[in-house]
Amino acid sequence: MPDDIRTLLSLVLVFVPLSLLSIGGGASLLADMEHQSVTVQGWTTAREFADLFAISRAAPGPGTMLSALIGWKAAGWAGAVTATAALYLPSSLVVYGAARLWGRWRGSLWHAAVERGLAPIAAGLILSGGIAVLRISPGGPAVWGAAIVATVLLLRWPRLHPLILFAAGGGLFGLAAGMGR
Amino acid sequence: MSKGARLGRLTAETDADVRKEHQIGLPAIFAAFFWLGVTSFGGNTAAWLYHQLVGRRHWIDDREFLSGVALGRIVPGSGGVNLTVLVGQRLRGGAGAVAAVVALLSGPLVIVLAFAAAYTRIGWSPAVHAILDGIAAAAIGLTFATGLKLLPSGSARLGPLAVTLATVLCVGVLRWPMLPVIFCLAPVSIGLALVRGRNA
Repeated sequence: MPDDIRTLLSLVLVFVPLSLLSIGGGASLLADMEHQSVTVQGWTTAREFADLFAISRAAPGPGTMLSALIGWKAAGWAGAVTATAALYLPSSLVVYGAARLWGRWRGSLWHAAVERGLAPIAAGLILSGGIAVLRISPGGPAVWGAAIVATVLLLRWPRLHPLILFAAGGGLFGLAAGMGR
Repeated sequence: MSKGARLGRLTAETDADVRKEHQIGLPAIFAAFFWLGVTSFGGNTAAWLYHQLVGRRHWIDDREFLSGVALGRIVPGSGGVNLTVLVGQRLRGGAGAVAAVVALLSGPLVIVLAFAAAYTRIGWSPAVHAILDGIAAAAIGLTFATGLKLLPSGSARLGPLAVTLATVLCVGVLRWPMLPVIFCLAPVSIGLALVRGRNA
């Protein structure tokens, strides 16, 4: 077996189990990824892993694009695509099956009750997600303050497009950093 | 690619519970989720999805969105990707789910690799970190505004509101593991909903 195929295969073997074990958040996932890619497989050094983590947090997208970066380090473009698919495909199949099952009971009394019962929990989870991101943000009090201002602006003017706010936030922070130097 | 082909073949024909009346086209689904992927900074895919698909396009309603958020967190995987699978499935079955997930992930995949290439070549100045912090702060604002907008409303909302507060306290503030918290609060909250349903 050629080496690059073997690397792709080991990416699959590492990320598929992570996909199915990552229930309830990314923190444990991150530790596992670090262990695998630095200690077990030697795809990155510890320093490179820290850099890749910082890069993955800067890019848009849902959570863990870090897998793509590790795959890229290990085996280039093919590695990036393989690692991403290996991390997201198994869990997506599980949730797809759950959605099919769930949809089958649509219209029943208890389906409606479960949906109504989950709604307040989901609202709480969304707010908790914001708090969690705030907590790991390296920006300090300025980020907390700006997040609160953005919240108030969006609630006060619901038609305000969030992208305008994103640009304003990035611009202001960039300017402040430029002047502080 | 293999992902799309495989999932599509397995499920495209067998989806019975997809809305037939005003079905949304696959290109529209792909475009919406691609845009969602490249603009959801700071891990707030759910908040963006709410803004674009519920608020602007009215593709799903508040309750479907919230149950998708909850279900997406209970099963393995990223909450944002899971929510995308759920909404895609709801909109257009298996093909919708594949289109939504591939669209959501493909943009960020290219961007994150471009960032990595730029980083290894030129490194990052402090100004770049500051700009990213600013964008993240605004993105967190969108998350908070979405959560607050979705707080329980209407008459008899005190019970649900208490459930939301308990969730924020346990998961957000005290950082307890999310799954046990959900499994403790869900029966209480569903029970409340059943009682309310009977009285209504």
